[in-house]
Amino acid sequence: MTSPDALLAELGRVAQAIGPAVAPPDTSRLLAALADTARRLFGAAACSLALLTDDESELVYTTAAGAGAQDVTGMRIPASQGVAGWVVQSGQPVSIDSPADDPRFARDVAESTGYVPREILAVPVASATTMLGVLTLLDRDTARPGAVQDMALLQVFADQAAIALEGSRAFTRMGSVLLTAVATAAAADAELADIASSLAVAVPPVDRDLAELAEVFALLSRHSAADRRLAVRLVREVVAHTERVAARPGA
Amino acid sequence: MQITRDWAFDGADGQGVDVAVVDSGIDPTHPAVGPVSSAVALTWDPLAEQVIAADGPHTDLFGHGTACAGIIRAVAPQCRLHSVRVLGERLSGKGPVFAHGLRHAMTIARVVNLSLSTSRPEYRTLFYEIADEAAFRGVVLVCAVNNAPAPSYPSQFASVVSVAANDGAGPYDLDCNPTPPVEFGAPGIGVTVPWLNGGSIVTTGNSYAAPHVAGLVARLLSKHPTLTPYEVKTVLRHVSRNAQRG
Repeated sequence: MTSPDALLAELGRVAQAIGPAVAPPDTSRLLAALADTARRLFGAAACSLALLTDDESELVYTTAAGAGAQDVTGMRIPASQGVAGWVVQSGQPVSIDSPADDPRFARDVAESTGYVPREILAVPVASATTMLGVLTLLDRDTARPGAVQDMALLQVFADQAAIALEGSRAFTRMGSVLLTAVATAAAADAELADIASSLAVAVPPVDRDLAELAEVFALLSRHSAADRRLAVRLVREVVAHTERVAARPGA
Repeated sequence: MQITRDWAFDGADGQGVDVAVVDSGIDPTHPAVGPVSSAVALTWDPLAEQVIAADGPHTDLFGHGTACAGIIRAVAPQCRLHSVRVLGERLSGKGPVFAHGLRHAMTIARVVNLSLSTSRPEYRTLFYEIADEAAFRGVVLVCAVNNAPAPSYPSQFASVVSVAANDGAGPYDLDCNPTPPVEFGAPGIGVTVPWLNGGSIVTTGNSYAAPHVAGLVARLLSKHPTLTPYEVKTVLRHVSRNAQRG
Protein backbone atom coordinates (compact mmCIF):
# COMPACT_ATOMS: atom_id res chain seq x y z
CA MET A 1 0.00 0.00 0.00
CA THR A 2 1.28 3.48 -0.85
CA SER A 3 2.03 5.58 2.24
CA PRO A 4 0.15 8.89 2.69
CA ASP A 5 3.52 10.69 2.52
CA ALA A 6 4.37 9.31 -0.89
CA LEU A 7 0.83 9.78 -2.17
CA LEU A 8 0.64 13.40 -1.06
CA ALA A 9 4.13 14.17 -2.39
CA GLU A 10 3.15 12.77 -5.78
CA LEU A 11 -0.12 14.72 -5.70
CA GLY A 12 1.83 17.92 -5.00
CA ARG A 13 4.30 17.22 -7.79
CA VAL A 14 1.61 16.50 -10.37
CA ALA A 15 -0.48 19.52 -9.38
CA GLN A 16 2.61 21.75 -9.54
CA ALA A 17 3.28 20.54 -13.08
CA ILE A 18 -0.33 20.88 -14.25
CA GLY A 19 -0.93 24.33 -12.69
CA PRO A 20 0.57 26.47 -15.47
CA ALA A 21 -1.48 24.59 -18.08
CA VAL A 22 -4.79 25.50 -16.49
CA ALA A 23 -3.84 29.06 -15.42
CA PRO A 24 -5.92 31.91 -16.83
CA PRO A 25 -3.82 32.97 -19.83
CA ASP A 26 -4.45 36.71 -19.76
CA THR A 27 -2.92 38.01 -16.53
CA SER A 28 -0.22 39.96 -18.34
CA ARG A 29 -2.80 41.52 -20.67
CA LEU A 30 -4.96 42.42 -17.69
CA LEU A 31 -1.99 44.10 -15.99
CA ALA A 32 -1.09 45.96 -19.18
CA ALA A 33 -4.67 47.22 -19.46
CA LEU A 34 -4.59 48.24 -15.83
CA ALA A 35 -1.38 50.27 -16.26
CA ASP A 36 -2.74 51.93 -19.37
CA THR A 37 -6.07 52.75 -17.73
CA ALA A 38 -4.31 54.28 -14.73
CA ARG A 39 -2.06 56.33 -17.01
CA ARG A 40 -5.08 57.71 -18.93
CA LEU A 41 -7.20 58.35 -15.85
CA PHE A 42 -4.47 60.36 -14.12
CA GLY A 43 -3.40 62.04 -17.32
CA ALA A 44 0.11 60.78 -16.54
CA ALA A 45 3.16 60.54 -18.78
CA ALA A 46 3.79 56.92 -17.80
CA CYS A 47 2.61 54.11 -15.55
CA SER A 48 4.65 51.00 -14.75
CA LEU A 49 4.49 47.86 -12.65
CA ALA A 50 7.65 46.31 -11.18
CA LEU A 51 7.57 42.94 -9.41
CA LEU A 52 9.91 41.52 -6.79
CA THR A 53 11.96 38.51 -7.83
CA ASP A 54 11.51 35.28 -5.84
CA ASP A 55 14.53 36.05 -3.66
CA GLU A 56 13.27 39.64 -3.16
CA SER A 57 16.63 41.13 -4.14
CA GLU A 58 15.49 42.82 -7.36
CA LEU A 59 12.52 44.54 -8.93
CA VAL A 60 11.67 43.63 -12.53
CA TYR A 61 9.54 45.99 -14.62
CA THR A 62 7.02 43.63 -16.22
CA THR A 63 4.43 46.10 -17.47
CA ALA A 64 4.63 49.70 -18.66
CA ALA A 65 2.48 52.21 -20.50
CA GLY A 66 3.39 55.64 -21.86
CA ALA A 67 6.72 57.47 -22.06
CA GLY A 68 9.76 55.18 -22.02
CA ALA A 69 7.57 52.04 -21.86
CA GLN A 70 9.75 50.11 -24.32
CA ASP A 71 12.94 50.93 -22.43
CA VAL A 72 11.58 50.22 -19.00
CA THR A 73 9.93 46.85 -19.72
CA GLY A 74 12.22 44.03 -18.66
CA MET A 75 14.53 46.34 -16.74
CA ARG A 76 15.81 45.10 -13.36
CA ILE A 77 16.84 47.29 -10.44
CA PRO A 78 18.08 46.31 -6.96
CA ALA A 79 15.24 46.32 -4.40
CA SER A 80 17.59 48.09 -1.99
CA GLN A 81 17.56 51.50 -3.63
CA GLY A 82 15.53 54.19 -5.30
CA VAL A 83 11.96 55.26 -4.91
CA ALA A 84 10.55 51.86 -5.98
CA GLY A 85 12.87 50.10 -3.52
CA TRP A 86 11.68 52.30 -0.69
CA VAL A 87 8.03 51.50 -1.46
CA VAL A 88 8.50 47.70 -1.33
CA GLN A 89 10.80 47.87 1.70
CA SER A 90 8.59 50.20 3.72
CA GLY A 91 5.22 49.11 2.37
CA GLN A 92 4.31 52.80 2.20
CA PRO A 93 3.15 54.85 -0.78
CA VAL A 94 5.37 57.74 -1.85
CA SER A 95 4.74 61.06 -3.52
CA ILE A 96 7.76 63.06 -4.67
CA ASP A 97 8.08 66.32 -6.55
CA SER A 98 11.33 67.78 -7.71
CA PRO A 99 11.76 71.29 -6.43
CA ALA A 100 12.39 73.50 -9.46
CA ASP A 101 15.82 74.52 -8.18
CA ASP A 102 17.03 71.03 -7.31
CA PRO A 103 16.87 68.31 -9.97
CA ARG A 104 19.14 65.85 -8.12
CA PHE A 105 16.41 63.60 -6.80
CA ALA A 106 15.32 62.46 -10.24
CA ARG A 107 18.72 60.97 -10.98
CA ASP A 108 18.00 57.40 -9.93
CA VAL A 109 14.61 57.37 -11.60
CA ALA A 110 15.85 58.99 -14.78
CA GLU A 111 18.81 56.65 -15.02
CA SER A 112 16.52 53.67 -14.77
CA THR A 113 13.69 54.81 -17.04
CA GLY A 114 15.34 57.13 -19.55
CA TYR A 115 12.68 59.68 -18.70
CA VAL A 116 13.19 62.56 -16.27
CA PRO A 117 9.97 63.11 -14.34
CA ARG A 118 9.04 66.17 -12.31
CA GLU A 119 6.74 64.11 -10.11
CA ILE A 120 6.50 60.47 -8.98
CA LEU A 121 3.65 58.70 -7.27
CA ALA A 122 4.40 55.11 -6.25
CA VAL A 123 2.28 52.68 -4.23
CA PRO A 124 2.92 49.14 -2.96
CA VAL A 125 1.36 46.13 -4.70
CA ALA A 126 0.80 43.62 -1.91
CA SER A 127 -1.46 40.79 -0.86
CA ALA A 128 -2.51 40.37 2.76
CA THR A 129 0.68 38.48 3.53
CA THR A 130 3.17 39.20 0.75
CA MET A 131 4.82 42.23 -0.82
CA LEU A 132 4.65 41.70 -4.58
CA GLY A 133 5.94 44.92 -6.16
CA VAL A 134 5.29 48.57 -6.88
CA LEU A 135 2.99 50.55 -9.19
CA THR A 136 4.53 53.85 -10.31
CA LEU A 137 2.94 56.87 -11.98
CA LEU A 138 5.12 59.58 -13.54
CA ASP A 139 3.93 63.18 -14.03
CA ARG A 140 0.22 63.29 -13.37
CA ASP A 141 -1.87 65.92 -15.10
CA THR A 142 -0.99 69.12 -13.24
CA ALA A 143 -4.67 70.08 -13.07
CA ARG A 144 -5.43 67.06 -10.86
CA PRO A 145 -6.00 67.39 -7.10
CA GLY A 146 -3.23 66.88 -4.54
CA ALA A 147 -1.11 63.80 -4.16
CA VAL A 148 -2.97 62.54 -1.09
CA GLN A 149 -6.21 61.87 -3.00
CA ASP A 150 -4.47 60.41 -6.04
CA MET A 151 -2.25 58.21 -3.87
CA ALA A 152 -5.42 56.59 -2.47
CA LEU A 153 -6.90 56.22 -5.96
CA LEU A 154 -3.72 54.69 -7.40
CA GLN A 155 -3.73 52.25 -4.47
CA VAL A 156 -7.08 50.91 -5.75
CA PHE A 157 -5.37 50.04 -9.05
CA ALA A 158 -2.46 48.45 -7.17
CA ASP A 159 -4.86 46.34 -5.11
CA GLN A 160 -6.49 45.05 -8.30
CA ALA A 161 -3.07 44.19 -9.71
CA ALA A 162 -2.30 42.30 -6.49
CA ILE A 163 -5.51 40.27 -6.81
CA ALA A 164 -4.69 39.36 -10.43
CA LEU A 165 -1.13 38.40 -9.51
CA GLU A 166 -2.20 36.33 -6.52
CA GLY A 167 -4.72 34.47 -8.67
CA SER A 168 -2.13 33.74 -11.30
CA ARG A 169 0.47 32.66 -8.74
CA ALA A 170 -1.93 30.16 -7.22
CA PHE A 171 -1.64 28.26 -10.51
CA THR A 172 2.14 28.40 -10.78
CA ARG A 173 2.31 27.05 -7.22
CA MET A 174 -0.65 24.74 -7.49
CA GLY A 175 1.07 21.84 -5.71
CA SER A 176 1.67 23.95 -2.59
CA VAL A 177 -1.81 25.45 -2.78
CA LEU A 178 -3.41 22.00 -3.03
CA LEU A 179 -1.39 20.53 -0.17
CA THR A 180 -2.17 23.54 2.02
CA ALA A 181 -5.85 22.95 1.26
CA VAL A 182 -5.44 19.26 2.21
CA ALA A 183 -3.76 20.28 5.47
CA THR A 184 -6.67 22.58 6.30
CA ALA A 185 -9.29 20.00 5.35
CA ALA A 186 -7.51 17.31 7.39
CA ALA A 187 -7.28 19.45 10.52
CA ALA A 188 -9.01 16.73 12.57
CA ASP A 189 -6.31 14.21 11.59
CA ALA A 190 -3.24 15.89 13.07
CA GLU A 191 -0.77 13.46 11.54
CA LEU A 192 -2.11 13.84 8.01
CA ALA A 193 -2.37 17.63 8.38
CA ASP A 194 1.27 17.77 9.53
CA ILE A 195 2.45 15.71 6.57
CA ALA A 196 0.47 17.84 4.10
CA SER A 197 1.63 21.17 5.51
CA SER A 198 5.28 20.16 5.64
CA LEU A 199 5.06 18.87 2.06
CA ALA A 200 3.30 22.07 0.98
CA VAL A 201 6.36 24.17 1.74
CA ALA A 202 8.71 21.59 0.23
CA VAL A 203 7.10 21.08 -3.20
CA PRO A 204 9.89 21.81 -5.67
CA PRO A 205 9.09 24.62 -8.10
CA VAL A 206 8.20 23.27 -11.50
CA ASP A 207 10.93 23.49 -14.13
CA ARG A 208 10.59 26.74 -16.10
CA ASP A 209 10.72 25.04 -19.50
CA LEU A 210 8.01 22.58 -18.51
CA ALA A 211 5.89 25.40 -17.13
CA GLU A 212 6.25 27.25 -20.41
CA LEU A 213 5.33 24.14 -22.36
CA ALA A 214 2.22 23.76 -20.21
CA GLU A 215 1.29 27.40 -20.84
CA VAL A 216 1.71 26.94 -24.58
CA PHE A 217 -0.58 23.91 -24.46
CA ALA A 218 -3.11 25.92 -22.47
CA LEU A 219 -3.26 28.41 -25.36
CA LEU A 220 -4.34 25.56 -27.66
CA SER A 221 -7.71 25.54 -25.92
CA ARG A 222 -8.57 28.47 -28.18
CA HIS A 223 -7.79 26.54 -31.33
CA SER A 224 -9.46 23.67 -33.17
CA ALA A 225 -9.39 20.01 -32.16
CA ALA A 226 -7.30 19.27 -35.26
CA ASP A 227 -4.68 21.83 -34.16
CA ARG A 228 -4.56 20.27 -30.70
CA ARG A 229 -4.10 16.74 -32.14
CA LEU A 230 -1.29 18.03 -34.35
CA ALA A 231 0.45 19.59 -31.33
CA VAL A 232 0.16 16.39 -29.32
CA ARG A 233 1.59 14.35 -32.22
CA LEU A 234 4.52 16.77 -32.57
CA VAL A 235 5.39 16.54 -28.90
CA ARG A 236 5.05 12.74 -28.93
CA GLU A 237 7.48 12.65 -31.88
CA VAL A 238 9.98 14.79 -29.95
CA VAL A 239 9.71 12.52 -26.89
CA ALA A 240 10.06 9.37 -29.03
CA HIS A 241 13.09 10.83 -30.78
CA THR A 242 14.72 11.79 -27.48
CA GLU A 243 14.14 8.29 -26.12
CA ARG A 244 15.65 6.67 -29.23
CA VAL A 245 18.74 8.87 -28.92
CA ALA A 246 19.06 8.13 -25.21
CA ALA A 247 18.76 4.36 -25.84
CA ARG A 248 21.69 4.32 -28.27
CA PRO A 249 24.82 2.79 -26.76
CA GLY A 250 27.43 5.45 -26.02
CA ALA A 251 24.96 8.27 -26.52
CA MET B 1 0.22 76.29 36.17
CA GLN B 2 -1.14 76.68 32.64
CA ILE B 3 0.12 74.37 29.90
CA THR B 4 0.70 76.71 26.99
CA ARG B 5 2.84 76.65 23.87
CA ASP B 6 5.29 79.05 25.53
CA TRP B 7 5.51 76.91 28.65
CA ALA B 8 6.18 73.84 26.53
CA PHE B 9 8.60 75.07 23.88
CA ASP B 10 9.71 78.66 24.39
CA GLY B 11 13.50 78.95 24.51
CA ALA B 12 13.93 75.17 24.07
CA ASP B 13 16.05 73.69 21.25
CA GLY B 14 16.34 69.97 22.04
CA GLN B 15 19.65 70.43 23.88
CA GLY B 16 20.68 67.26 25.74
CA VAL B 17 17.93 65.07 24.27
CA ASP B 18 18.81 61.95 22.25
CA VAL B 19 16.53 61.20 19.28
CA ALA B 20 16.82 57.93 17.33
CA VAL B 21 15.58 57.59 13.77
CA VAL B 22 14.70 53.96 12.98
CA ASP B 23 14.64 54.04 9.18
CA SER B 24 16.75 53.69 6.03
CA GLY B 25 19.87 55.31 7.55
CA ILE B 26 20.90 58.97 7.84
CA ASP B 27 23.35 60.82 5.60
CA PRO B 28 25.39 62.76 8.20
CA THR B 29 27.05 64.87 5.50
CA HIS B 30 23.79 66.47 4.41
CA PRO B 31 23.95 70.17 5.39
CA ALA B 32 20.37 70.12 6.67
CA VAL B 33 21.05 67.20 9.01
CA GLY B 34 24.36 67.94 10.69
CA PRO B 35 26.21 65.60 13.01
CA VAL B 36 24.90 62.12 13.81
CA SER B 37 25.97 60.99 17.28
CA SER B 38 25.77 57.25 16.64
CA ALA B 39 24.88 54.93 13.79
CA VAL B 40 24.15 51.23 13.55
CA ALA B 41 23.01 49.23 10.52
CA LEU B 42 21.04 46.06 11.17
CA THR B 43 20.62 43.23 8.68
CA TRP B 44 19.20 39.73 8.68
CA ASP B 45 21.42 36.69 8.28
CA PRO B 46 19.10 34.10 6.71
CA LEU B 47 21.46 31.17 7.34
CA ALA B 48 22.05 31.84 11.01
CA GLU B 49 18.50 33.23 11.29
CA GLN B 50 19.67 36.17 13.37
CA VAL B 51 20.11 39.92 13.24
CA ILE B 52 23.60 41.27 12.55
CA ALA B 53 24.55 44.73 13.82
CA ALA B 54 27.25 46.86 12.15
CA ASP B 55 28.25 49.87 14.25
CA GLY B 56 29.69 52.95 12.60
CA PRO B 57 28.89 55.41 9.84
CA HIS B 58 26.60 54.22 7.05
CA THR B 59 24.82 55.70 4.06
CA ASP B 60 21.12 56.26 3.64
CA LEU B 61 19.78 53.62 1.24
CA PHE B 62 16.78 55.59 0.05
CA GLY B 63 16.79 59.17 1.34
CA HIS B 64 13.85 58.68 3.68
CA GLY B 65 15.83 58.46 6.93
CA THR B 66 17.76 61.60 5.98
CA ALA B 67 14.45 63.35 5.32
CA CYS B 68 13.15 62.41 8.79
CA ALA B 69 16.43 63.45 10.43
CA GLY B 70 16.33 66.80 8.63
CA ILE B 71 12.78 67.48 9.84
CA ILE B 72 13.77 66.68 13.45
CA ARG B 73 16.91 68.85 13.16
CA ALA B 74 14.86 71.80 11.86
CA VAL B 75 12.46 71.62 14.82
CA ALA B 76 15.01 70.75 17.54
CA PRO B 77 18.39 72.03 16.27
CA GLN B 78 20.45 71.07 19.32
CA CYS B 79 19.20 67.50 19.85
CA ARG B 80 21.57 64.53 19.42
CA LEU B 81 20.55 62.40 16.43
CA HIS B 82 21.12 58.63 16.23
CA SER B 83 20.65 56.52 13.11
CA VAL B 84 19.30 52.98 13.43
CA ARG B 85 19.16 51.52 9.93
CA VAL B 86 16.69 48.64 9.68
CA LEU B 87 16.09 48.42 5.95
CA GLY B 88 18.45 46.40 3.82
CA GLU B 89 18.84 44.57 0.56
CA ARG B 90 15.97 42.15 1.06
CA LEU B 91 12.62 42.04 2.75
CA SER B 92 13.18 38.73 4.52
CA GLY B 93 13.75 39.11 8.23
CA LYS B 94 12.26 42.59 8.18
CA GLY B 95 10.14 42.01 11.28
CA PRO B 96 12.96 40.75 13.57
CA VAL B 97 15.35 43.44 12.25
CA PHE B 98 12.77 46.15 12.88
CA ALA B 99 12.12 44.83 16.42
CA HIS B 100 15.86 44.62 17.17
CA GLY B 101 16.30 48.18 15.90
CA LEU B 102 13.53 49.48 18.13
CA ARG B 103 14.94 47.76 21.21
CA HIS B 104 18.37 49.22 20.47
CA ALA B 105 16.90 52.68 19.86
CA MET B 106 15.20 52.80 23.23
CA THR B 107 18.47 52.05 25.03
CA ILE B 108 20.19 55.10 23.50
CA ALA B 109 17.40 57.66 23.06
CA ARG B 110 14.57 59.39 24.90
CA VAL B 111 12.63 59.95 21.68
CA VAL B 112 12.36 57.38 18.88
CA ASN B 113 10.98 58.29 15.47
CA LEU B 114 9.34 55.46 13.55
CA SER B 115 8.06 56.27 10.14
CA LEU B 116 7.82 52.54 9.42
CA SER B 117 5.40 49.96 10.67
CA THR B 118 4.44 46.38 10.01
CA SER B 119 1.00 45.02 9.20
CA ARG B 120 2.02 41.37 9.71
CA PRO B 121 -0.23 39.96 12.45
CA GLU B 122 2.50 37.58 13.66
CA TYR B 123 4.50 40.58 14.92
CA ARG B 124 1.63 42.20 16.79
CA THR B 125 2.50 40.72 20.20
CA LEU B 126 6.22 41.36 19.82
CA PHE B 127 5.70 45.05 19.01
CA TYR B 128 3.11 45.34 21.75
CA GLU B 129 5.73 44.19 24.28
CA ILE B 130 8.30 46.59 22.85
CA ALA B 131 5.87 49.52 23.00
CA ASP B 132 5.11 48.72 26.66
CA GLU B 133 8.82 48.44 27.43
CA ALA B 134 9.42 51.86 25.90
CA ALA B 135 6.57 53.45 27.88
CA PHE B 136 7.89 52.06 31.19
CA ARG B 137 11.42 53.24 30.37
CA GLY B 138 10.10 56.74 29.72
CA VAL B 139 10.96 56.58 26.02
CA VAL B 140 8.53 58.35 23.69
CA LEU B 141 7.82 56.35 20.51
CA VAL B 142 6.53 58.66 17.79
CA CYS B 143 4.97 56.58 15.02
CA ALA B 144 3.69 57.51 11.59
CA VAL B 145 0.28 56.07 10.89
CA ASN B 146 0.23 53.72 7.91
CA ASN B 147 -0.87 55.60 4.78
CA ALA B 148 -2.87 52.56 3.68
CA PRO B 149 -6.05 51.79 5.62
CA ALA B 150 -4.74 48.60 7.26
CA PRO B 151 -3.80 47.72 10.84
CA SER B 152 -0.19 48.61 11.54
CA TYR B 153 2.07 48.01 14.50
CA PRO B 154 3.21 49.61 16.69
CA SER B 155 1.52 52.80 15.44
CA GLN B 156 -1.94 51.82 16.67
CA PHE B 157 -0.97 50.94 20.24
CA ALA B 158 -2.20 53.26 22.98
CA SER B 159 1.23 53.98 24.49
CA VAL B 160 2.79 55.46 21.34
CA VAL B 161 2.29 58.91 19.87
CA SER B 162 0.66 58.22 16.48
CA VAL B 163 0.77 60.89 13.81
CA ALA B 164 -0.83 61.52 10.42
CA ALA B 165 -0.16 64.35 7.96
CA ASN B 166 -2.15 67.58 8.01
CA ASP B 167 -1.82 70.50 5.61
CA GLY B 168 -0.15 72.80 8.15
CA ALA B 169 3.14 74.53 7.39
CA GLY B 170 4.12 76.24 10.66
CA PRO B 171 6.25 74.64 13.36
CA TYR B 172 3.33 74.48 15.82
CA ASP B 173 0.61 73.41 13.38
CA LEU B 174 -0.35 70.43 15.48
CA ASP B 175 -3.88 68.98 15.61
CA CYS B 176 -5.26 66.45 18.06
CA ASN B 177 -7.78 63.85 16.97
CA PRO B 178 -10.68 63.18 19.32
CA THR B 179 -11.22 59.75 17.72
CA PRO B 180 -8.00 57.66 17.98
CA PRO B 181 -6.09 55.45 17.17
CA VAL B 182 -4.62 58.33 15.13
CA GLU B 183 -3.93 60.89 17.85
CA PHE B 184 -2.17 63.81 16.21
CA GLY B 185 -1.86 65.61 12.89
CA ALA B 186 1.30 67.51 11.88
CA PRO B 187 2.67 69.03 8.64
CA GLY B 188 3.28 66.31 6.03
CA ILE B 189 1.65 67.44 2.78
CA GLY B 190 3.85 69.06 0.14
CA VAL B 191 6.75 69.51 2.56
CA THR B 192 10.33 70.17 1.40
CA VAL B 193 12.77 67.71 2.98
CA PRO B 194 16.45 66.80 2.58
CA TRP B 195 17.13 63.72 0.41
CA LEU B 196 20.10 61.89 -1.12
CA ASN B 197 23.24 63.53 -2.56
CA GLY B 198 22.78 66.67 -0.48
CA GLY B 199 19.58 67.46 -2.37
CA SER B 200 15.99 68.00 -1.35
CA ILE B 201 12.54 67.00 -2.57
CA VAL B 202 8.94 68.05 -2.09
CA THR B 203 6.95 65.13 -0.74
CA THR B 204 3.73 64.03 0.96
CA GLY B 205 3.06 61.33 3.55
CA ASN B 206 2.38 60.54 7.18
CA SER B 207 5.99 59.52 7.53
CA TYR B 208 7.06 63.19 7.37
CA ALA B 209 4.51 64.25 9.98
CA ALA B 210 5.92 61.90 12.64
CA PRO B 211 9.44 63.42 12.74
CA HIS B 212 7.91 66.88 13.07
CA VAL B 213 6.24 65.70 16.30
CA ALA B 214 9.43 63.85 17.36
CA GLY B 215 11.27 67.18 17.05
CA LEU B 216 8.65 68.97 19.15
CA VAL B 217 8.87 66.22 21.80
CA ALA B 218 12.68 66.62 21.89
CA ARG B 219 12.25 70.35 22.47
CA LEU B 220 9.66 69.74 25.17
CA LEU B 221 11.91 67.23 26.96
CA SER B 222 14.93 69.52 26.76
CA LYS B 223 12.96 72.06 28.77
CA HIS B 224 10.97 69.61 30.94
CA PRO B 225 13.16 66.50 31.19
CA THR B 226 11.11 64.66 33.81
CA LEU B 227 7.92 64.30 31.77
CA THR B 228 6.68 60.74 31.18
CA PRO B 229 5.38 59.60 27.76
CA TYR B 230 1.78 60.03 28.94
CA GLU B 231 2.49 63.54 30.22
CA VAL B 232 4.12 64.34 26.89
CA LYS B 233 0.91 63.30 25.13
CA THR B 234 -1.14 65.48 27.45
CA VAL B 235 1.05 68.50 26.67
CA LEU B 236 0.87 67.85 22.91
CA ARG B 237 -2.89 67.70 23.18
CA HIS B 238 -3.03 70.99 25.10
CA VAL B 239 -0.89 72.88 22.61
CA SER B 240 -2.79 71.57 19.55
CA ARG B 241 -4.51 74.10 17.32
CA ASN B 242 -7.91 72.54 17.92
CA ALA B 243 -7.51 71.78 21.64
CA GLN B 244 -10.61 72.20 23.80
CA ARG B 245 -9.26 74.29 26.65
CA GLY B 246 -11.56 74.82 29.59
